[in-house]
Amino acid sequence: MPKVGLTTTVPVEVIYAAGWVPVDLNNLFITGENPQALVEEAELAGYPRNLCAWIKGIYSTVLKQRDISTVIAVTQGDCSNTHALMETLQLAGVEIVPFAFPYDRDADLLRLQIEKMMCHFDVSWRQVDEAKERLNRVRGKVWELDRLTWQENRVSGWENHLYQVSCSDFNGDPDKFAADTDMLLEEVRSRPPVEKALRLGYIGVPPIVGDLYQYLEERGARVVFNETQRQFTMPYAAAGLVEQYRRYTYPYGVFFRLADISREAARRNLDGIIHYAQSFCFRQIEDLIIREKLDLPLLTLEGDKPNRLDARTRMRLDVFLDMLR
Amino acid sequence: MFIGLDLGSRNVKIALMEKGRTTRLLEFDTVSFYREYGRKTGGRLTVDFATLGLDVTGAVITATGYGRQAVNVRDARIIPEIKAHVSGAVHLTGLAGFTLLDLGGQDSKVALVRQGRLVDFLTNDKCAASTGRYLENMAAVLNISLEELSLHYLDPVELTSTCAIFGESELIDKIVEGHPVSSLAAGVNYSIFKRIHPMLAKLSSDTVVFTGGVARSGALAEIIRRETGARVVVPEQPEYAGAIGCCVETRGNE
Repeated sequence: MPKVGLTTTVPVEVIYAAGWVPVDLNNLFITGENPQALVEEAELAGYPRNLCAWIKGIYSTVLKQRDISTVIAVTQGDCSNTHALMETLQLAGVEIVPFAFPYDRDADLLRLQIEKMMCHFDVSWRQVDEAKERLNRVRGKVWELDRLTWQENRVSGWENHLYQVSCSDFNGDPDKFAADTDMLLEEVRSRPPVEKALRLGYIGVPPIVGDLYQYLEERGARVVFNETQRQFTMPYAAAGLVEQYRRYTYPYGVFFRLADISREAARRNLDGIIHYAQSFCFRQIEDLIIREKLDLPLLTLEGDKPNRLDARTRMRLDVFLDMLR
Repeated sequence: MFIGLDLGSRNVKIALMEKGRTTRLLEFDTVSFYREYGRKTGGRLTVDFATLGLDVTGAVITATGYGRQAVNVRDARIIPEIKAHVSGAVHLTGLAGFTLLDLGGQDSKVALVRQGRLVDFLTNDKCAASTGRYLENMAAVLNISLEELSLHYLDPVELTSTCAIFGESELIDKIVEGHPVSSLAAGVNYSIFKRIHPMLAKLSSDTVVFTGGVARSGALAEIIRRETGARVVVPEQPEYAGAIGCCVETRGNE
């Protein structure tokens, strides 16, 4: 089955309906053997140093991955660096399929975008709706994992992150991913619940550093809400595909995201929130809105290169946890 | 007796406290300190207090600072830097509500303190162009002492470089243009202020307590006063706030 790369979450139902295999390029990049080397390769190719490492990593990942000759690039609803990423990949002979989430969540425009993508992959609404049903059954398992994280305190922040973030492409094999999730669900149900840990929310894009969750847990704090990762699981019982991707908060304005964050912060009884923003990302600007609008202690973290937490970030996390106690 | 150890990036500060009173303060260059008095055994830093001339029998040792994450001090309780600085500032000023500004060798920290407790904080990240090291470099470029640099705040030249190293060549340009040393020095002091101003604005109070080695700069304190309208309080020997805070933190737990 042919593979198609994704720069971020798109209506993946269309791809599965067409019998293609979606590959979230972010996941492929960050779980690779040496993500830092991929960033450096992009810099050697001419990508600026002061630019988001995710974009650079994705660029080199696609060039290395010879079985990915088509990439769906999100031109609106993610970042404008993606435009130049598309162009440099095009230069290297990769086929680009653009996809735009309308800023104002306009249903007609979104439907048009989805239908254009369906046209490209030559699938009908009937096929797409079938794929939606199939994928929602898998998503349901991850929703349960999320519930077990915050309501029963049996799932670690890292597991919560990993399984939810994987719902952007279901690791290219929804059946296997469902079976893996079932196994974890069975295991966690017999775990003793974690008690007396600080309850944290993690908002913003998934972290580029791998050891954040573990570091927090070693210090008696758990992430019980992963904002964007949870959004990747489409945790809404939406009637149709268009409505589902309208409710998906990540590609739209910060105020729409904040409504979801506030609701979950209250429901999950959070003590504090970590806002992660990538170095050089426009979302660093939105931090000032988030700080003003959220009525909870907030720590803003900035990550640049794929690595482990540096000493300064660890110090800031220590003080933040200390402050919450 | 309580011993507070603040392992900074440029200097190591040690405070000794007995019966709520600071009895001794010592300062060492960081590199020389590690070379002459520090030894790593089993992944932990052992400080040779005897060679330092300190009798630590029965003393409670608390450490913080730049080396906190990198080295683990043997027989010491380790506390986060900001916590130490806040405790030190509260102890030294007797104030309970203020914005703490701590400018050290490589760190800029701004913390909001209410009722003696830390409630929010910001630190510099990825860039140390607003710290003591920058002032040292710029003083060297101007061929003046840090004391001289810290006198000037009037009629500053405009320095715009984002990078502290490029800032040096920008400063050299200004020297060539013939600006007086006082304006060049004032420009350097203003460039520090411009970097910390957004952090101060985010966590503002009527009073700014200014600590860390850079707080010895009278010019910077004056610039903060003029530009923010806040009262600026600089404790005596502001560079020891972290070390004294270490003693206070542990004493509080007794």
